[in-house]
Amino acid sequence: MSINVLIVDDSGVMRAMILKSMRMGGIPLGEIHQAGNGEEGLAALKEHKVDLVIVDINMPVMNGEEMIDHMHDDPEFQKIPIVVISTEGSEVRQNRLMEKGAVFIQKPFPPKKIRDTLKGILDIGGGK
Amino acid sequence: MIQAINDILYRIAEEVLEKIAFIFSFPEKDRVPIPFESAVVASVSFSGLFDGVLLMAVSQQVLPELTGNMLGIDMDEETSMEEQHDALKELINVICGNLLPAIAGKQMIFNVETPQVIEASSVSDLEGELAAIAKLSIEDSGHCDILFYVKGEIPEIPPPDMGEE
Repeated sequence: MSINVLIVDDSGVMRAMILKSMRMGGIPLGEIHQAGNGEEGLAALKEHKVDLVIVDINMPVMNGEEMIDHMHDDPEFQKIPIVVISTEGSEVRQNRLMEKGAVFIQKPFPPKKIRDTLKGILDIGGGK
Repeated sequence: MIQAINDILYRIAEEVLEKIAFIFSFPEKDRVPIPFESAVVASVSFSGLFDGVLLMAVSQQVLPELTGNMLGIDMDEETSMEEQHDALKELINVICGNLLPAIAGKQMIFNVETPQVIEASSVSDLEGELAAIAKLSIEDSGHCDILFYVKGEIPEIPPPDMGEE
């Protein structure tokens, strides 16, 4: 079983770090799609079959929370697991995102955190 | 309060550099700040309980290695200027995102703008008073300064949680 992933972050360096953490963590990756903001992320979702969305919050054009709201409004995307990887430090905002069903990881993150979180929500075992 | 903010800034800057760029840094509290002309400078503005700007200046010669570490590429591979600027913007973004709740508490909401790489000459245009500065040595001969500017007074807030992650 391999996982098709969409990584949405306006930093190419951060997208590369997330991808590297997933590879190091032994996540069975299939297709990797990348986008620089929420609008591009939604376009990528319409074009490709994705099993997991990893999204930043603070991005230009369309931020990550708006993208998550659009995904919830679309029956096609409602059930895709979402992991937010962000610098957002406000518990108020973090709780709001978790109420929307997203799992939250704060930057900076150790690679182990990505591995354990993804193995948990994707039910592929072997974490921790 | 100002001393407490300075301590928090040092702690978070060192932690972020280590965790994201895999670089150890050490405080250099007694040295003079880096001349901005010899550094690559990024800034990020924020607003909320108080408004201001965080600025990060890194010696030009260490930015390629720092970027290479973040990207996980081999020592002999080169990084582009765009990647180096992207790396610096990500670092200041993460430092700012962790600094503000460490100062004001995790219940406060701040809006953090998109970070930018700026010209040294435009640093003087920044609004606000310098509230804290962290001066660090990184690698053999590199330096990194992080300057925290605040517009107006920082309101009375609960004592910062020095022990939080």
